[in-house]
Amino acid sequence: MKKALATFYGTLAIAWLLPLPAVSFPQFQQYCEKHSGRPVNCFMCHMNDDGPTGDGEGQIGSLKPEDLERLNKTRAQTEPGSEIDNPILNKFGNQILHKLGMKKVLELTNDPSKLPEALGKESDLDNDGIPDGQEFADGTDPLNKFNGDPWKLMVINANRYKFQIILASIAVLLLDYGLAHLIKGIAVKLDKKEDVV
Amino acid sequence: MKAGTAFGALSNFVKERFPVDKMNFHYMVEKKEVPVHSMSWGYYTGGLTLFFFIIQVITGLLLLFYYQPTVSDAYASVEFISKYVSGGALIRNLHTWSSSCMIFFAMVHLITAFAMKSFEKPRELTWIMGVLLLLITFTFGFTGYLLPWNQIAVNASKVGLQSIEAAGQYLPGALSKLPHTVIEIFQGEATVGQSTLGRFYAMHVVLLPLALIALLGAHLLQVQIHGMSQGVDVPAKKTEKFFPVFFFKDITLWTSVFLILFIVASIIPFDAFLPFPLLEPYNALGSTPAGIKPEWYFYFVYYPLEMLPFWVILLGSLIVMGVLIFTPWIFKGTSRKTLKLIAGAATAYLVIMTLFGDKILHIVKPGA
Repeated sequence: MKKALATFYGTLAIAWLLPLPAVSFPQFQQYCEKHSGRPVNCFMCHMNDDGPTGDGEGQIGSLKPEDLERLNKTRAQTEPGSEIDNPILNKFGNQILHKLGMKKVLELTNDPSKLPEALGKESDLDNDGIPDGQEFADGTDPLNKFNGDPWKLMVINANRYKFQIILASIAVLLLDYGLAHLIKGIAVKLDKKEDVV
Repeated sequence: MKAGTAFGALSNFVKERFPVDKMNFHYMVEKKEVPVHSMSWGYYTGGLTLFFFIIQVITGLLLLFYYQPTVSDAYASVEFISKYVSGGALIRNLHTWSSSCMIFFAMVHLITAFAMKSFEKPRELTWIMGVLLLLITFTFGFTGYLLPWNQIAVNASKVGLQSIEAAGQYLPGALSKLPHTVIEIFQGEATVGQSTLGRFYAMHVVLLPLALIALLGAHLLQVQIHGMSQGVDVPAKKTEKFFPVFFFKDITLWTSVFLILFIVASIIPFDAFLPFPLLEPYNALGSTPAGIKPEWYFYFVYYPLEMLPFWVILLGSLIVMGVLIFTPWIFKGTSRKTLKLIAGAATAYLVIMTLFGDKILHIVKPGA
């Protein structure tokens, strides 16, 4: 344990001193793709779908001095519960660091399957009813309420919109009743016309 | 003399298919009878396709209020519709679900009409118009796919357009330039960009609906004039009046299907079936995400394209198109039993390729 902590703080110190190397954890993406069977990219946690390295939008090479300062500040927050505003991470990436802290994230790189459990069921950034950790395991977007495991969304939304569904069913029944009488009425009128002819 | 005879034959052909004396309310609605037999359900498939088209028109018109057909704003406008417009997500979801349903039922309608031999004289034109309507429906799907301007939309459209261009190398002489000209017309620039989006948008919301409505009008007119086809070998002993009996059943079916569509669109977002990197805004400078595929209704041609040489698919497609157009004459003397077998084989192929095409591809080409 002591050795692991020493390695961790050592890595952190080097990261702090070096001119901002890109730190990303492909273990999470690899686990996610293998577990869900869906193609996943860095966009799940990062601002840029090609990850943190490069000069593109949301990548380290394009950061302004104030963003670099924010990045450094975030990297110094190792414990959970800290305010995280990392410019290369999206809302979900920042939420992971906020909830777990960098130390725990590093620990989880050895077993990414424990991330959903570590994040808990309360965190649901897109409010689609599926916890963020579960969305990570399913390989779906935790920031898009229209993207999630279709069958889980079906059950959650059926429960959410049951009142609307009942109302729609009643409306359709009434519509059928009305149309039946309308068509019957027209048919009777046509028959009468035929009799006259 | 010969020209006169040919003109006379053509004139008779048209007169038989469009008998003016039968074009009245009494004949087309009041007098019309619908046979009742084991295949009667087939008579409802065309109506369902029409119903989903009506849903497409209504929801499409509502989406037009907010959609912006520019590469800079298209994605944002779709996102705005889904996230901020009241009922926007439901309308968009109804549009996407009903587009798939429309294509599904158009295919089912074509297959059942084939199995029931509904292309027999005097319904040849009804059949040909139906085939053209199916092609227009597929084009609707292809052009509509690009409009959200996300990764899958742009990349799948690029692949689709490239396959049209690839056909040029197999065509003889001046014809070899035809696919390139077609691409130039549809794409409008060197690659899929603003001109393409503008043209696809124009086709999706103006040209194709106009063409479809015109053909659909003629198709329905033919159906009402000539009535429902016999459908089975032994003429049905029982019939029911088109109005009000069949009409009411049709309307009841529509309302029930609408309820199912409404529930499905409310609880299952269509986008949930796609991997999320494909739903990101298109980035010309970024890497192309994995898993780019066309919509499910193109799988029957997409997977064979991945497995077989292009010329095989091109030749196969041309043969199938020719057979479809000339079906009333090719299968004139074929029994309904044989037609049902052919329809069954076609259905099996479509189902297998749509549901298991991916697995078959991985078996045939393990690295794909």
